[in-house]
Amino acid sequence: MVRVETPAAALRGADRFRVAQAATLELRGVAKNFGGLRAVDGVSLTIEADEVLGIAGPNGAGKTTLFDVVTGLTKASEGDVVLDGSSIAGDSVHRRCQRGMARTFQQPTVAASLTVYENVALGCSFGQPRRHWAGVDDLKEFAEFVLELTGLADKAELVAGPLTVFDKKRLMLASAIATGPRVLLLDEPFGGLNPDEIDETLRLIRRVREFGVAIVCIEHVMRALVQLATRVAVMHHGAVFFEGAPQEMMQDERVISVYLGRSAAKPPARGGDGGAA
Amino acid sequence: MRRRRSLVPAAPGRIGAGAVLVLLVALAPLVYTDQYYLGIVVTTLILITLNSSWNFLLGMVGVWNFGQLAVYAAGGYAAGLIMIHSGVPGGVALLGGGLAAALLSIALAFPTLRLFGIYTSLLTFSFAQVIQFVIINDNTGITGGPFGLPEVRGLFGSLSPLDSMRAYYWTALAVAVATLVLTALTIRSSLGLALRALRDSLPYGAARGVSPLRYRVIAFALSGFVAGVAGGLYTSFNTSIGPGVMGLTPMSIYVTMIVIGGMGTLTGPVWGTALVVAIQQALINHPGIQLTVLGAILLVIVVFVPRGLVGEVATLARRLRAWIAEGDGDEEAEEPELVADRPAEVRTVPIEPARSPEAR
Amino acid sequence: MTDLVAILISTIVLGSIYGLVAIGMTLIYGILRVLDMSQGSMVMAGGFVGWGLLVSAGTSPLLALAAAFAIAFLLGVATQLVSVQPLLGRSGIDFEMITFITTFAVAMVIQNVALEIFGPRQRDVPPVIGGTVDVYRGVNISYQSILMAAVSIGLMLMLGIFLTRSRYGMAIRAVAQDISAARLMGVPIRWMFPLVMGLASALAGVAGVFLGAQLFASPNAGDLPLLEALIVVIFGGLGSLPGTIYAAYAIGLIQSTVSVLIATTWSLPILYAVILVVLVLRPHGLAGRPSEARL
Ligand SMILES: Nc1ncnc2c1ncn2[C@@H]1O[C@H](COP(=O)(O)OP(=O)(O)O)[C@@H](O)[C@H]1O
Ligand SMILES: [Mg+2]
Repeated sequence: MVRVETPAAALRGADRFRVAQAATLELRGVAKNFGGLRAVDGVSLTIEADEVLGIAGPNGAGKTTLFDVVTGLTKASEGDVVLDGSSIAGDSVHRRCQRGMARTFQQPTVAASLTVYENVALGCSFGQPRRHWAGVDDLKEFAEFVLELTGLADKAELVAGPLTVFDKKRLMLASAIATGPRVLLLDEPFGGLNPDEIDETLRLIRRVREFGVAIVCIEHVMRALVQLATRVAVMHHGAVFFEGAPQEMMQDERVISVYLGRSAAKPPARGGDGGAA
Repeated sequence: MRRRRSLVPAAPGRIGAGAVLVLLVALAPLVYTDQYYLGIVVTTLILITLNSSWNFLLGMVGVWNFGQLAVYAAGGYAAGLIMIHSGVPGGVALLGGGLAAALLSIALAFPTLRLFGIYTSLLTFSFAQVIQFVIINDNTGITGGPFGLPEVRGLFGSLSPLDSMRAYYWTALAVAVATLVLTALTIRSSLGLALRALRDSLPYGAARGVSPLRYRVIAFALSGFVAGVAGGLYTSFNTSIGPGVMGLTPMSIYVTMIVIGGMGTLTGPVWGTALVVAIQQALINHPGIQLTVLGAILLVIVVFVPRGLVGEVATLARRLRAWIAEGDGDEEAEEPELVADRPAEVRTVPIEPARSPEAR
Repeated sequence: MTDLVAILISTIVLGSIYGLVAIGMTLIYGILRVLDMSQGSMVMAGGFVGWGLLVSAGTSPLLALAAAFAIAFLLGVATQLVSVQPLLGRSGIDFEMITFITTFAVAMVIQNVALEIFGPRQRDVPPVIGGTVDVYRGVNISYQSILMAAVSIGLMLMLGIFLTRSRYGMAIRAVAQDISAARLMGVPIRWMFPLVMGLASALAGVAGVFLGAQLFASPNAGDLPLLEALIVVIFGGLGSLPGTIYAAYAIGLIQSTVSVLIATTWSLPILYAVILVVLVLRPHGLAGRPSEARL
């Protein structure tokens, strides 16, 4: 059994997690075409280490595709992705992860046949910038810290496949944290969760932020976004048409009209805004 | 000091039972000396090794490779050629066969890993066909074309027939057991962690820092090496090898063995191979009926017991344990099963949505 | 020049017969997402029907072709019912891979039942029609080949007309394009699947009569046509009917050229080498489009 025996271990793990060198992520005119469809249409954004950038926009706006391009899952048609001043556009997905970029997926995606602990250990063993883990103990220490942080410590030995959506989403986040990211990209972390779970996820993301991790967060749920983000970008038809503080966004005419004239404070139910796409 | 913990807990009971079984099988030729049946066991053990190496790719790495028989044959031919053209000890020839097969497997891995789904099977299947055609039509005299290699000196030429048979028996058993142990260790190692994560979801694994190409090429190399050693053993035991070891018929039999036992389980290929060999022996005088029966069994197993016998037994055992635990009012959490014995049913997060026509 | 004519004629004949077998596989894949490995045994069954009727019963060739069509149709429907229908809509399986194996298992059964009934001996099937005609300075073409090409092309045309003009054909195409929309429009989907597989198998059965005359009828007579059809469908991009027909003639051309200029034994290995290269360069077939992962 994995037991989180001592808070001391978790503390040492926490030391490891603290980001030593803050990262800057820059997107320069990123575009992605699927055949005739321009899913991402020239997006330029800069994410600094001390901020949480929220990305909003109706379904089909190209948010997930933007993440796919940034993390290397699909190749950009145009533009450049720059991490700490050097381009990572030519790097593979796993290289980008090792350079300090981790993401979660919109669908709760984990390694279903691995246990919770193994999922986290996977991130620790393979996602670190350099394989600087002195040994299994060191890995274990950090893994336990991550499990503790995400509230999964008592589920460490369970197989991930049958977990609930909330646990899967937390695990997906945990294994991302386990890679020791400097930039964390979250694709709808609150989607499909109930209010309590949303609050807990909010707390968790704030904790992660305290370690100096830059965060980009796609979200439909405006309430969460407004509470979390320091800056917001709103996408429509693949392009960012609004960038600013969360409070400004709520008043912006264009944002409100993109959400079909409904109140921005009460965004449309997920999946029900097909007309906006 | 902390104990180094393996990533997957072991199941001591199962290991003990396995050790006893292996010991019994190992002692058998001391009392039982019918060379015909000992020979069948040797062949079975060689096939267990081959099928385990294949199952590693099919079930554990999740690559639908249908070119494994070409790799196996390459090992067999390479070992045979080394024995014919040099005086090195037989063991070295086996290793040479393994290395040659590993190289071929790596060569196959690079184009294969670019593909997804059914195209993977088609490419690897074509690859095996090309290798077979090239060997059959080879008139340079190297491989002996359709007739195979000329008489190869075996591993134990100097022994009496019975001793030689026993020596092959123990060699094949040692190789098969070593294969299973190495497979179990690999699947629990961090390499195994990486491979299983990639199998469950390639984008997820890659996004957690696992290089899909590097680790899966390593898997092809390991699998190819084991298949090559099995091929070398085949050649030495039969003192020859021909293009007949490849092709549709052997492939269909071996696939049946793996699927019946339980694809993606550690011990599935062992039970599947043994069972199919037993069926073949029972129907030895009716070659047509033999394959008809195997085809029908394959069909029934895939449709009704898709996880194979070992997968099904594992599930039943788990249910039983849970039921007993419940009956006792036992609070203890269900013991996690040996992961290697959990078949590929867990692929609930496919890379692409499952495209069954009903789900499209 | 004689080489050129020989290659041209051989291309048309081979391409037509490949097209006949491969078009069935493509149709099945396009609609069911099943790569039907039992198509080879349908060719084999057609060969035996041809042998049985033409040699033993001495019936007319037309009747033999019709019988092969009917028997292969029934076999195809049966195959679908045991190897594909039970797996439809089942979750937690890799449908394409599992049906690859189940249809393969059916092929194993059919082939070995034939082995048990007829034995491994190769049987000569007489040509459906005898005689040859001199086309160009010593390049002969048999009437059999002409008929084979004509029937193949005719059947492919009829299939095309059936798919584009008839009610059932349009239903089939609707299913291939969008299964849920087709269901909404009242297409009886469950019954489309056996029909399609029966139809495809029937085409392979007709091809089997001709191929039997070209080579032999024997229990493993279907292996080679299966491998050739696989090459064609990969080359044409799985599921694309026009792609398959182009590919059939392209493969026919490559094979004829190799046979005439080098040696017949090399034509298949060279084809496979071509396929390896095609797959490496275009991982989704020549016409197929990559579908990217979505999570
Ligand atoms: N692999 C793909 N192939 C073709 N079109 C795609 C693909 N992925 C996404 N799209 C299209 O790109 C657009 C943007 O999708 P997505 O990035 O998922 O939007 P969001 O995450 O904002 O809801 C949609 O119209 C979607 O249909
Ligand atoms: Mg999205």
